[in-house]
Amino acid sequence: MIFFKTARRQFPSDLYLLDEVLSWFNQIHESFIPAKVWSQCQLALAEGFTNAVRHAHKDYSAEVPIEIEVTILAEYLELRIWDRGLPLDLPTKLQQMQENTNERAEGGRGLIILFKMADTLTYSRTEDDRNCLLFVKRFAEEE
Amino acid sequence: MSSVVKVVQPSGILDGIKANQLRREISDVVASGATTVLIDLTDVTFMDSSGLSALVSALKMVRTAGGKLYLCSINDQVKMVFELTRMDRVFDTFSNRNDFNAAIANLEP
Repeated sequence: MIFFKTARRQFPSDLYLLDEVLSWFNQIHESFIPAKVWSQCQLALAEGFTNAVRHAHKDYSAEVPIEIEVTILAEYLELRIWDRGLPLDLPTKLQQMQENTNERAEGGRGLIILFKMADTLTYSRTEDDRNCLLFVKRFAEEE
Repeated sequence: MSSVVKVVQPSGILDGIKANQLRREISDVVASGATTVLIDLTDVTFMDSSGLSALVSALKMVRTAGGKLYLCSINDQVKMVFELTRMDRVFDTFSNRNDFNAAIANLEP
């Protein structure tokens, strides 16, 4: 099967818009995507978007946009989220979080959730000084 | 000594915004003397890690006050978040409100 669909949209840096972000994402849904995988992609989008608002754009006004692009192919989905925050080394950050998070911790689980669900997770600096979070999820069950 | 049971029922998307609201509600019911608190998640359609953080805060608040916190009616999406973070071991959960009521009735004849 050859399948390709992509959608891109900008949202202001506002936590109140998560509902709208998820609604937009659900309009892109394709019936061949397994329910569990779609649910994980929704969660990845929520974590990625709120992380950008809360951390990368912490000191920015809400007008600074967060750009989201979703690409659905026959076998996997790619989610890209661009922010305009400072650079960050994701592997180092993830390692710190995994060492520090205990059962009683009240926060800091977003990145770990993203990492656990992803087949690929990267956070890279772009040429125009933005960061791009890339989350790739395959539709086939693992193993 | 009889316990005071209070139920809190958030709805919609349990994210960072609703998380703060939930923390306030739990803080209020604890302050009002509740010793058993149930968070009924029937109407929660989606939860992210901020929502989960609020549930952990709720657990801490209730326990600090010497009470017990329970959850009920968890949908598959919420269950997934618990499993990904291994928090499913941390919470006492019931499949629905009736099961919770029956269990509480047994505890207090």
